Amino acid sequence: MTEALFFNAHAGYLEGVLRGFKAGLLTQSQYSNLTQCETIEDFRMQLGATDYGNFLANETPPISTSTIAEKATQRLVDEFNYIRSNSVQPLTKFLDYMTYAYMIDNVVLLITGTLHERDTHDLLERCHPLGKFETMATLCVATNVEELYTTVLVETPLAPYFRDCLSAQDLDDLNIEIIRNTLYRSYLEDFHNFVLSLGSPTSDIMSPLLCFEADRRSLNITINSFGTGLSKEQRAKLFPSIGRLYPEGTSALARADDIDQVKAVLDGVVEYRPFLDTSGSSSGGDGGVGGLEDHFFQYEVSLNKLAFMQQFQLGVFYSFFKLKEQEIRSLTWIAECIAQNAKDRINDYIPTF
Amino acid sequence: MRARADLARFAHTLVHNHSLARMVSEYPSLLRSEEMSLVQLYVPIDVAHSTVEELARLERIQFKDLNPDVNPFQRTYVSQVRRCDEAERRLRFLTVQIDAQGIPMRPFEETQGLLAGRSGAQALDELDSRLVESEQRVAAMNNSYEALEKRALELEEARQVLIETDVFFREASTRHDEIRTSFDEGASAPLLGDIEAGRGPEESGFGGFELEFVAGTIDRARMPTFERVLWRVLRGNLYMNYAEIDDSALPVPTSEAGSQAGGEEKKLRKNVFIIFAHGQELLDKIRKIAESMGATLFSIDSNADKREEKLREVTARIEDLNSVLYNTNQTRRTELLKIAESITAWWTIVRREKVVFATLNLWQWDQGRKTLVAEGWAPTRDLPIIQAALRQASEDAGTSVSGILHELKTHKTPPTFHRTNKFTEGFQAIIDAYGVGAYQEINPGLFTTITFPFLFAVMFGDIGHGVIMAASAFALIMLESKFKKGTGSEIFDTFYFGRYIIFLMGLFAIFTGFMYNDIFSLSLNLAKSQFRWPTDFKEGDLVEAIQTTNRYPFGLDPSWHGAANALIFTNSLKMKMSIVMGVIHMSFAICLQVLNHLHFKKPELIWAEFLPQILFMESIFGYLLLCIIYKWSVNWEEVGKNPPNLLNMLIKLFLSPGNVAPEDQLYPGQATVQVFLLLLALVCVPWMLCTKPYLLWKEHQKIAEQGYHGIGANGNGAIAAEDHEESDAEGGGHAVVAEEMDEEHEFDMGEHVIHQVIHTIEFCLGCISNTASYLRLWALSLAHAQLSEVLWSMTIEGAFEMEGTAGVVFLFLMFAMWFTLTVGILIVMEGLSAFLHALRLHWVEFNSKFFIGGGTPFAPLTYEGTDEIPEGVIVAA
Repeated sequence: MTEALFFNAHAGYLEGVLRGFKAGLLTQSQYSNLTQCETIEDFRMQLGATDYGNFLANETPPISTSTIAEKATQRLVDEFNYIRSNSVQPLTKFLDYMTYAYMIDNVVLLITGTLHERDTHDLLERCHPLGKFETMATLCVATNVEELYTTVLVETPLAPYFRDCLSAQDLDDLNIEIIRNTLYRSYLEDFHNFVLSLGSPTSDIMSPLLCFEADRRSLNITINSFGTGLSKEQRAKLFPSIGRLYPEGTSALARADDIDQVKAVLDGVVEYRPFLDTSGSSSGGDGGVGGLEDHFFQYEVSLNKLAFMQQFQLGVFYSFFKLKEQEIRSLTWIAECIAQNAKDRINDYIPTF
Repeated sequence: MRARADLARFAHTLVHNHSLARMVSEYPSLLRSEEMSLVQLYVPIDVAHSTVEELARLERIQFKDLNPDVNPFQRTYVSQVRRCDEAERRLRFLTVQIDAQGIPMRPFEETQGLLAGRSGAQALDELDSRLVESEQRVAAMNNSYEALEKRALELEEARQVLIETDVFFREASTRHDEIRTSFDEGASAPLLGDIEAGRGPEESGFGGFELEFVAGTIDRARMPTFERVLWRVLRGNLYMNYAEIDDSALPVPTSEAGSQAGGEEKKLRKNVFIIFAHGQELLDKIRKIAESMGATLFSIDSNADKREEKLREVTARIEDLNSVLYNTNQTRRTELLKIAESITAWWTIVRREKVVFATLNLWQWDQGRKTLVAEGWAPTRDLPIIQAALRQASEDAGTSVSGILHELKTHKTPPTFHRTNKFTEGFQAIIDAYGVGAYQEINPGLFTTITFPFLFAVMFGDIGHGVIMAASAFALIMLESKFKKGTGSEIFDTFYFGRYIIFLMGLFAIFTGFMYNDIFSLSLNLAKSQFRWPTDFKEGDLVEAIQTTNRYPFGLDPSWHGAANALIFTNSLKMKMSIVMGVIHMSFAICLQVLNHLHFKKPELIWAEFLPQILFMESIFGYLLLCIIYKWSVNWEEVGKNPPNLLNMLIKLFLSPGNVAPEDQLYPGQATVQVFLLLLALVCVPWMLCTKPYLLWKEHQKIAEQGYHGIGANGNGAIAAEDHEESDAEGGGHAVVAEEMDEEHEFDMGEHVIHQVIHTIEFCLGCISNTASYLRLWALSLAHAQLSEVLWSMTIEGAFEMEGTAGVVFLFLMFAMWFTLTVGILIVMEGLSAFLHALRLHWVEFNSKFFIGGGTPFAPLTYEGTDEIPEGVIVAA
């Protein structure tokens, strides 16, 4: 109850701003208008009538889909930075936690890129702007895990998460994946603890979101590790200790050998049951994993939408940016379909509101 | 050929004049909004463009969207709109470039001449090709300029590195020498000396052994991070030297300066660093880190002479580059100067074309006939002008067929259009800010032109202040042409827009000033006072004035000024006066309902709504008003009793009806009259409450009995369909007339009753609170008078008592202070507050009695706003 009294004092304004941003998310009718576009030019015109306004007006045609995604992401980043620079504790810390996920992705991207001897500047441009930190560029110097930690990561917020990975020796593709997932596991657990420490109602909203994220990662790790050199013990270590599948589900996943065993695990949770259900669903044709991602996104969107039902909590901040990200993914998908003239698949986007 | 065309046109007019038979002959008035017609235009495709142009210039027709279901990008003229967008983008680019160079653009007024005879598609074509060419040229020049600038920056950085590293090396070598000499002195061992001597020839410019190093520049903000990372990578074995480059030494590339829209000039703040390390691997690592941190590395020779040589070379190249840069910039500037000459005209062309095509997109394309069908609202009075414009358009396009206009019958509510001029515009804006009147509703704007300045002046009555206000507004009116285009200052433009309001407010303030006999808080003795002061009195005595038979002819007697009971007298006067004016104002507003009821053909509402309301109002407050006037007209001294208190009378009218104490009695038979009035007012409440819902219910029953009920929303559909066919036959086409019927709502008695209950309560309570609300007239005028009196006595009055030079100086200073404060506080601030209160009295007390204000404003097709560069293109410096 005290939240209702004092929440507005520290985050009320920003929540108002954010709900304003949320009102700018594309609606179903706007999506259906977008899908009717014949060319990217039409697409741009149609977007001009939405909250995006004329954000592409100064681009010289022809416009590529990557430009659209880039500009849209830039808007997301601007909005995020506006919120972050006006925030106070505990919202600041909460938003910082949100950026850690992007940081992990950026770190892994850079390490992998360096491993495959890509150009550092190209890699830097491909990094997500929300996950940028000062010493990020120097990641490319490191050649082994320990060096990575001692030179660069030790002073970033990721340092505590990285401590668990120090045992890994060489940087190869498998190890990098292990590093990524270990980092993510520690991050999710840490974030979850932080969210719990904020108490209800933030934790009521955020906990399911983070738990789902954890479950999603566990499932992905399991499915992707079939037929790779990853041992089952190693796999078990990568599963976050939160989520609805933990602990019975994850231990079953750790022992799983094929997709059917995964399916058996999923049957334990009602909401997850249709994820791998290839029989009834319409998109089942392309078999399992591709449809799984879409199911994940859809379920995530529905969870995020729930966050807006409750006031006086920080979950809306997380949810809005996740929804916005989803919107950008959808926009890019539609634009890509238009550009490649693949009209038959244009409706496979995932609408938000 | 020509004659035949004329004949055809004549035939047109003959055929279509019958539809214009219902001509409005009377002079346009502000009492009701303009009569509107729904018109349909059939425009051949070849003249469509020029027709829209003509109509946009006319500003008399508002088009409806006939393709509401069509996506914006599927409309007929979408490619043209897109071309305009593209042209706008190019223009934006060029405008920003011109602005960045600080080149003044020729204002629109001067370039409008270039537009003459240049419109239509071919103008846009021409312009398009010019824009493409200009954009390419400027962009190419920008690119090369930027590349050159980047090169210049690099060279300058190299020069700085050379200069700074030179300092490091020199310092290092002297220190080295010092160490060496002290070492030499201390160690006398010959063996050591031998070794040193043996090494001698190998020594290069720097110390005894070759130290390898990395030198370069880096952003100053990144310096600490850079150092920290290096320290960690080198495991603490870091020997690094750095120096700050002077802030103004580095040229700032325009690309970076431009992106930073800030008042402060952007500067590049960088540091020169030099890192010494040993071993190829470490050096590589350092280089890699430096590069990833965005540093620029330079290869520097450790040999002093070579560095000297390099420095000379770099300096020479910088000079070369600077002259090239200058030349490039000069050519770019010339190009931009040429564009700046006419860019404003180009803006106008593009923006107008965009308006034209956006309008054409609202029209419906009739494939079979090669015509466009348009529908829109136009004032009935202006139909002939629109006809003329259509003919003009076809002449412009050089064809003999012009667009055909004919009127449609409709049940839709037209938009509200008040034909204002520069005088009424401001007053109408005051009303429109409250709500745009419904179509043909009585427009309070007409009465506002006088009542607004009058009520303002009641609160602001002072001859002096009024004169200053009227004079300044008059100055604005006289200088009208100068400020027409707006000055850019929002506050000033607001005052300019309200210049006629302010002028009238000033004039009325002079009038009320005469009534209150106030000029800068003093009084005027224009005629003989009705009071005579006794001549024999002792100092300190209270002196009583003696009333003579003479009467002061106009306004307040000046003898009241300074009297001890002046405030009591003026308060009583102004308070009652406010009530009198308030009740009259509101009664008038209620009476205006009658005009609405008659016009909308609902005479039954006169007895159902107007009559109870006016009776309620008059039986309580009209009675009060009469009592006030009666009390004024009686000489109570002659009657021989204290004048009765009217406030108590009003309260007792409610609390103890039928009882009037003899000492409070105003006139004989008062008790009976008051009981009757109270009963009358009470009867009015259920009257108001019940009649209107009953009437609505009866009307609904009547419709239901006629059998329309079952069809529901289609009740009027049949009639509409007939209309539809009729108009089609007239137009001779199958074009769809977008005639959507207003959906008939389900009749809900409960809703009507609730609405009426709310309305009744609001009216009855409103009568009481609104009457009290008019007391603000008294309160503000009192406050104004008192404030100006205080200001007078606190400042300038004291100065009159001093004599000699000091008195003159003091008076001068005091006058300045008094006058500034008079203008600043009494006229501007008090004026604003009185304005706000007058506004409220109109919006709440006056409008709520009769004005519904649920209309939509008429928004005709116009070119307005196309003759300026859109906001946000040029970032204000």
